[in-house]
Amino acid sequence: MNKIELLAPAKDLKKAKIAIMYGADAVYVGGKFYSLRSRASNFDLEDLKELSEFAKKYSAKVYVTVNIVFHDDDYYGIKEYLKYLGDIGIDAVIISSLALIPIVKKVAPNMECHISTQLSSLNSSAVRTLQSFGADRIVLAREASMEQIERISNKVDVPLEVFIHGGMCSNFSGRCVLSNRMTLRDANRGGCAHSCRWKYRLYDKDKLISDPDCLMSMSSKDLRASAYIERMIRCRVASLKIEGRMKSEYYIGQVVRTYRKMIDEIYANGYLSNKRLAYYDEELSKAENRPSDDGFLSGDCDNSKHLYGVNGAGVTHDYVAYVHGYDDEKNKAIVEVKNVFVKSEELEVFGPDLDNKRFVLEHMYDENGEEIVLANKPTQIIYLDIPFRVDEPAMIRKVAHHDH
Amino acid sequence: MELLVTLRKKELLNKIGSLVDGVIVGEHFTSGYNYTDDDLKSIRDYCYTARLKYYIVLDNFITEDEEMMLHKYLDLIADLDPDGIFFHDLGVMEAAKVHGLFSKLIYDGKTVLCNSLDSAFMLTKGIDSVMISREITLEEIYEIAKNTDGRINMQIFGHQRLSYSRRKFLSNYFHQINKKYDYLNKESLYLIEEQRDYKMPIVEDDNGTYIYSDYIFEMFLEISDLRPYLKRGIIETRFIDNDNFLVQVCRDYHRVNDSNKEFIRDALLYNYPYEYSTGYLYQKTNKTKDE
Repeated sequence: MNKIELLAPAKDLKKAKIAIMYGADAVYVGGKFYSLRSRASNFDLEDLKELSEFAKKYSAKVYVTVNIVFHDDDYYGIKEYLKYLGDIGIDAVIISSLALIPIVKKVAPNMECHISTQLSSLNSSAVRTLQSFGADRIVLAREASMEQIERISNKVDVPLEVFIHGGMCSNFSGRCVLSNRMTLRDANRGGCAHSCRWKYRLYDKDKLISDPDCLMSMSSKDLRASAYIERMIRCRVASLKIEGRMKSEYYIGQVVRTYRKMIDEIYANGYLSNKRLAYYDEELSKAENRPSDDGFLSGDCDNSKHLYGVNGAGVTHDYVAYVHGYDDEKNKAIVEVKNVFVKSEELEVFGPDLDNKRFVLEHMYDENGEEIVLANKPTQIIYLDIPFRVDEPAMIRKVAHHDH
Repeated sequence: MELLVTLRKKELLNKIGSLVDGVIVGEHFTSGYNYTDDDLKSIRDYCYTARLKYYIVLDNFITEDEEMMLHKYLDLIADLDPDGIFFHDLGVMEAAKVHGLFSKLIYDGKTVLCNSLDSAFMLTKGIDSVMISREITLEEIYEIAKNTDGRINMQIFGHQRLSYSRRKFLSNYFHQINKKYDYLNKESLYLIEEQRDYKMPIVEDDNGTYIYSDYIFEMFLEISDLRPYLKRGIIETRFIDNDNFLVQVCRDYHRVNDSNKEFIRDALLYNYPYEYSTGYLYQKTNKTKDE
């Protein structure tokens, strides 16, 4: 039996490499065109080629999103683009335009077609229909419950991909054009304004019936499916997908690493204890900036799965530095500042092969070797006294208050 | 072009039967209609007698749990022998084959069918025709029609659906604010975003929540030129509770031509001063965040 795939998002080349080094079996990225996260798509053709080559060294796969809802003009150059993706060894494209299937098969026969969640596949008949069109993998709608996923999986023989973590559209993906109406930004062509997260007054005829102190919102909590990974493995889901092509390298590293370890533990032991699940949940929460729940996996979404008080995600400043290397002679780590931290703080380092190792920061120095007590200039390269070796791409964060 | 109207209440049949070519109906399980099986049969009988076309709509996505219900419903639909079946969930394609209904299928991708290639692709599968999305320009509509031999349908009037969720936004909200309110299936509720003033109708039923455009889409000035390129034009009546207005709309779409279109449009807008728009016919929705 093939081991389940862990599929991670990436906004740019650096984050894609981090995702792979932290344990993703595959990454999905968007090019500068044809991709729903147009603001997140920082991959030009050369970047895609470099990523493809990099991924192959790690036996990882690369999927490219070509998932806008196309208008006629949007297809300009698509055949050449798809052929290029095939030529550089991209493993699959994630599409919502079904007409692309025969085009991909013709111009890039080694590249798979994965059907985006934009097509909201919720039943085995829909999955088989898409398979009959030539699809190689189907991303299920996020509205499917775990039981429904199990039943669909038992009734089809095409690989299924399931979202396990990250932001959720509160409407069916692709079936919401609130953004188009309110901002003229096309939700299905990379311009979504996230109008579902705004606040609305509710009226019946001309009578206001919403609570002025708690306006209505469609905003959903993020998804966290950690409690369902074991069942997804058992029912032979092919790929577990993390959402978040707009997310930071810290989010990517922490979330990928946590699910990587969780999956490996399930395969090694045959199960995951509640105690270990609680540990992994705690790890995931370190990268969360919006409350999360299990979405539709446990059934319908009631009011506890919505956000009424806040519009969007908060910002955390726990991630303080990215490790670029280590000077063995001086026992100093070369790091890039990400957020403010000070001398004498207790910090925690984690990396692909480094498990939350803590130290108290005794000394740090600027580029000129001058000792400093405060690191507060993002992107500045500084040197930290760390009593053990750390290597790129390790990351350093503050020790959360509740961890003391 | 066949002129069709979504029939939200049976009583309208007598009033509009002579003004349109057919009606679209559905039932609760997979559409926003509340007709019983008997209602569907009686409407079918009326249409048969009145020589009106009769269409069924399956508007919602269907979960794995609902597949048995889908087949039961398709059994009924096969008995009703409609002229066509509008469907949204691709799973209906496989299920319809079992019931001998495949060639009657009309794919309504709602928001995701905006181009010629996808429309043509679906037509190669052997279905009757496709319903194109509302988020496209008039120029794009002509282009798609030319590339599909006119096997396209489109909404030509009414509130446009903006979103569809399986989440029960109204139930959840009233629960959150601890308020008891009679809201289920009620079509008089609307939302206004706190920084804007659009009144967007919202309705929740057992299948989820739907939000529609604040405006009534109309294309009186365009329809006479476009008519030869469309297989069916659909008047959507949801959220419009003025029967006289609906009858007038059907009459006007029935009689509009190149020489009277301005007069017809101006008279309707004057006599029924609702919020109207030509939607995206002349307005592309391709702004980016920076614009």
